[in-house]
Amino acid sequence: MITGILTGFGILLFAFVWQTSLDGINRKIVGRFQKRIGPKWYQQFRDIFKALSKTGVTHGWVFDFGVMMALGGIMATVMFLPVVGYSAFPGMDNFFIFVYLLAVGMLGMAMSSVGSGNPLAGIGVMRALTQMVGYEVPFMIVILGIIFGHNTSSLSELAAIQQASGIMTWNLVKMPIGTVVAYISLLGMLGKKPFETFIAPAEIASGPMVEYGGKQLGMLMIMHEFATFIEVTLFVTLFLGGATTLFGFIAKYFVVYILASLISNALARFKIDQVIKFYYKVPITLAIVQALMVVFLGWGV
Amino acid sequence: MNKDIKNLVADIKSRFELVGEDYPKDDQAALDFNSRDIHSVLAYVKSQGFRQLSILSCVDWIKDNQFQLVYIVFNWETGIRLQVRTRIDRSNPKFTTVTSIYPGAKYYERDVHEFFGVEFEGNPDSYKQLFLENWDDMPPLRKDFDSKAYSDRKYPVREYAADFSKAGDKK
Amino acid sequence: MDNTVEKQENIRKGWDGISRFFRANSIWMLMYCTGCCAIELPQAMTSRYDMERLGMGPMATPRQADVLLITGYLSLKTLRRIIYAYEQMSTPKYLVAFGPCTLNGGIYYDSHAVINRLDQYLPIDVYIAGCMPKPEAVMNGFNDLIGMIKRKEANGWKKYEQNKDWYRKNQIQALGELRIKDEFHE
Repeated sequence: MITGILTGFGILLFAFVWQTSLDGINRKIVGRFQKRIGPKWYQQFRDIFKALSKTGVTHGWVFDFGVMMALGGIMATVMFLPVVGYSAFPGMDNFFIFVYLLAVGMLGMAMSSVGSGNPLAGIGVMRALTQMVGYEVPFMIVILGIIFGHNTSSLSELAAIQQASGIMTWNLVKMPIGTVVAYISLLGMLGKKPFETFIAPAEIASGPMVEYGGKQLGMLMIMHEFATFIEVTLFVTLFLGGATTLFGFIAKYFVVYILASLISNALARFKIDQVIKFYYKVPITLAIVQALMVVFLGWGV
Repeated sequence: MNKDIKNLVADIKSRFELVGEDYPKDDQAALDFNSRDIHSVLAYVKSQGFRQLSILSCVDWIKDNQFQLVYIVFNWETGIRLQVRTRIDRSNPKFTTVTSIYPGAKYYERDVHEFFGVEFEGNPDSYKQLFLENWDDMPPLRKDFDSKAYSDRKYPVREYAADFSKAGDKK
Repeated sequence: MDNTVEKQENIRKGWDGISRFFRANSIWMLMYCTGCCAIELPQAMTSRYDMERLGMGPMATPRQADVLLITGYLSLKTLRRIIYAYEQMSTPKYLVAFGPCTLNGGIYYDSHAVINRLDQYLPIDVYIAGCMPKPEAVMNGFNDLIGMIKRKEANGWKKYEQNKDWYRKNQIQALGELRIKDEFHE
């Protein structure tokens, strides 16, 4: 029990430190791509702690409670993640747990930002939920194909199956179409550029975050780091065979995340109707093709 | 002066009493009318394709004690820009609204009322503020409005130990 | 009893020192582009001068921002919105003024619509000279601001809270009333 809790907090700490540093490194890399020097690698830490050191403005108890609920929900989700074989709650890392626990955090944020009463926040939340409907469907079809093929929905078991004989048993190799679909969905989850519609700083003034300042903004930034960690870890575990060593995990994570943000910096932003149209045309078709191949032809099992 | 303008001006001349005319550019004409003719002129040129009222402007001729209202209308088919001008009395500036012909004039009339104090009868909104919020003096674009005195009275001026304004004159 | 107060004071001072380190190195700015000096900011932000290496970045709303940049002349209408934005920002907040227009009115010294001295209405931490200031001057001004935050000198927001009555009196003298009520504002 005690070890479980300690492991959970260890995973939390690792998730925060690693993802926040990576965000700083990412800003540096993006800066270099734009021929800039870029900030220090620990800039993201400074931003978060600066935000926490400022005074916050409250807009009623729903506003404050929603932030806590978002951060708490996301932190609980992180504690369930199996990272490099460590798990706070062994045997409870079913994929669907993450789907539902992630929703708690997201709904907390939606509740809080609508509670601020700013119309732009309402627009942002509406767009975020619409976009969620867009990327969840193709992602779920692909994941259901994987679960059907491997006969398990436990993350650690899925990772173990993929680690059986090196790179050839990764889902990346066995289900390449599904991987592409899941990666496009991952871009939507992370809010990277073509699917950045719900943030859109120049258009709706950063959407759901419009009324946050000071402490609440700091908490939301931490929540965002954790959410990114969950989403990228899910992708690494489901498609890149998880990892048995910390170094392998970090390397895979790095590649996935940096590639996403490089794609983000090369593209422009979709409108929300274009996002939905795109997700319901290309990725969903590919996802159904992938699922049919898995279910009827037995390819990639 | 191109052919379209020539025909248009000849047409207008045959219908209305023209007080003065001017052609600042090839595709522009400035025509002066008596103020009682303005509404029928505008209604007529609108029926001739001048669908857009680009702006309603005003000029303060303080020596003649007159305001000049300038309706600039634009024709999207021929590309002609027509200025329909008239002069009204400055001491009692009143005119009738043209919102029944060009509904967009609503805001231009508020603008002119705010900056020149011309009243537009028939436009209930023309008294509301548009650009200047809580203005507390005479309309600021009249020629007898002293902008410097207003600025000095209302906004504190920074005091300097040396007078830099004379420094440039000495050499 | 005195001991606990002293301890709390020490803790507060220590926390203040730590947070000043973070605040000095992570400045988010709200660009309310009032006048022509705003055209110098894209240069300072992009690859030529790269503001981000100082930890500065643009932010979308006043709530998130730390520093309000007044880029140029302020008409009365803009001044009203600037006051709204400044009062919405969460403390500590800083204010950087560009060009001579904010200092003494600049070339608009005799205009009926443009204020002369911004420091009568809002507390200013740093002035940047030049009409318009070159990007080097802008970067230098931001460096000054960072130094002032580190040395605890950038406390215009404290001044504003202490002398709120005086500032409010000046604001009302220029604006008539602070909250405008007409058909465009509910």
